[in-house]
Amino acid sequence: MEQLASLTTGYTPDPAKEQQELTYYDYPVLKAPFWRWEIIWYFFLGGLAAGCYVIASIASLFGSKEDRIVTRTGYYLSLLALLPCPALLIKDLGRPERFLNMLRIFKLKSAMSMGVWSLLSFSLFSGVTATIQAARDGLLGKWWGAKLLAALPQKLLALLGSPFAVFLGGYTGVLLAATSVPLWSRSKHLGAIFVSSAISTSAALISFVLRIVGAPAKTLHKLEQMEWLALLVEMGELLIFLRGSGRAARALVGTGPNEHGYTFWRFMFGGGLVLPWLLQTLLLLGRRSHGAKRRLKQKDGVKSTQRQRGGIGLLISLLVLMGGYFLRRTMIEGGRSSSRDGRVALWHGRG
Amino acid sequence: MALNRLHNFPVLPGTQRLADLIAPLRKEPPPTPQPAQGFFTDTSLCIGCKACEVACKQWNQLPATAPTWSGSSYDNTQQLSATTWRHVQFIEQIGRNGGRNVPPNLPLFEDRIETAKSNGTIPATPPRTALPFFNSDRWLMQSDVCKHCAHAPCQEACPTGAIIRTEFDTVYVQQDICNGCGYCIVTCPFGVIARDEHGDHLAHKCTLCYDRLKDGLEPACAKACPTDSIVFGEVAQLKEQARQRLGTLHERGLSEARLYGVDEAILDGGLNSFFLLLDEPELYNLPRNPQRPSNNVAPASLWTIVTAMLLGLMGIIYFRARE
Repeated sequence: MEQLASLTTGYTPDPAKEQQELTYYDYPVLKAPFWRWEIIWYFFLGGLAAGCYVIASIASLFGSKEDRIVTRTGYYLSLLALLPCPALLIKDLGRPERFLNMLRIFKLKSAMSMGVWSLLSFSLFSGVTATIQAARDGLLGKWWGAKLLAALPQKLLALLGSPFAVFLGGYTGVLLAATSVPLWSRSKHLGAIFVSSAISTSAALISFVLRIVGAPAKTLHKLEQMEWLALLVEMGELLIFLRGSGRAARALVGTGPNEHGYTFWRFMFGGGLVLPWLLQTLLLLGRRSHGAKRRLKQKDGVKSTQRQRGGIGLLISLLVLMGGYFLRRTMIEGGRSSSRDGRVALWHGRG
Repeated sequence: MALNRLHNFPVLPGTQRLADLIAPLRKEPPPTPQPAQGFFTDTSLCIGCKACEVACKQWNQLPATAPTWSGSSYDNTQQLSATTWRHVQFIEQIGRNGGRNVPPNLPLFEDRIETAKSNGTIPATPPRTALPFFNSDRWLMQSDVCKHCAHAPCQEACPTGAIIRTEFDTVYVQQDICNGCGYCIVTCPFGVIARDEHGDHLAHKCTLCYDRLKDGLEPACAKACPTDSIVFGEVAQLKEQARQRLGTLHERGLSEARLYGVDEAILDGGLNSFFLLLDEPELYNLPRNPQRPSNNVAPASLWTIVTAMLLGLMGIIYFRARE
């Protein structure tokens, strides 16, 4: 793991040399963030809410008739994931009863102000879109109100709401990048990592649900292709992030005291990213040859409209979701260690 | 205040609550701008008496921190915090220059002792000479404080607008607006602003004695400083004073002396509360050239958008595909 850390960050600790660096009794330079589990779960659930909405919208606007199950599941899951978010954020405040003060101003320069407004606007889109979906699915009964709701232009809303969803999925990373914490701000790729993780975890969550209730194999295939690509992009972005962060990334990838490398490599990068991506690759390759065989069968007059259930895809989904959670967790906890390390902060402050 | 006008009319129940609720939204006309005010903390004059720490605590009614023994120096305060807005550092430099006592590049005050013995009078020390018992060991002290940055990261990050620039161009946290979100704390590159976890859970830091400034008084720390190591005044004027002082120190052989935050290099605009240091900034736990966090918003957003567009586009391609 130490070797992995050195290889990915391009930085190997040199205690003898670093001991020579000037410091003030190794006291911390920065104040550590006190953000805890509420924020970790908010980042995770906010990513899911955003990603599910985007995937559902893509399936609704560009997918086939069979893909409607993705739209339906996606919009419901998006709203479900979104519901606890405001509560988590409010609980995290020093004075929760003053949460409305966030809405006093609209401040382009403050990532948190923009985040609050995007969460608010996206909630509107997610809520209305999911309600229309429920009306169309007949969950709201057959009275005139439900009929009116079902007639609303869901696709138009999807088009307008998707940018807000992307904003919600990515701003959290931008917010962390716009701080003085070395781990978060050294490389500017945290937003890109978070947004690709939002897509990968959401694709995993939707396909997990679909594999339980059963869905057309073709639809699952599309979803898993998307998940596969998002994982690949996430991996690339993470590697760029680690290389760009160098010494600042030690708190995340190192194995020393107060460093989170063990959790990061096992549950995030290894178990939650590379492993599910490899499994997904095998699955997609396997299906390609399988699909060819099936097409031969179809020529013989055997129709394949059967719904697919279960399978190793369930495991892949769980691994991806675990990776997404541990990405947020190690980033937040690593940020705390990073800001407590006076030497790293002074090194980072040299520009 | 808005309610006073209402008192002439029969007040409906709940009006008070409503008024309280919308009070944070009310925008009052800003006070007339004054010349920018700030601190010049000249560490070459600091004697480490901690009068500034005490005066600050007294004036601002800040609770004492639980006494801890740092074991590293006389600095048991260790850091600025929500309830400590001035903090005196003690930097002990023993065995500098590899233990060699290298006197400054000045003629030594030598061979006068014998003269004194024979004459019976002690000759006056001619200016610009170093004493023969020169020792390069030294003890640096610095009274650290909020830098009141020209482009303050905490103020830029604050999502509620609680952190404002006052008419004196100082950075001030409005306690009735702050909701303790903690974003300012991670953006401050100097670790100044902090949340009071044992008290009201809100962000606190030096106010540059806003209340005293309003009444035409200088801040409590500057008032209490017995050596004028802490000087308060108009920023432009103080910067000139700092440059002159640096010139004097350089002339006297303190070639390592430097100014911190006077020019506009730090955080794209310099600091309204700046320092004269006698050594490298890192020794004082000051980052040499911290970057302005809000500068990261544009590149970080760009990468996010590029990634989102790539994934969205590929998603569209995947979902359009017909077998």
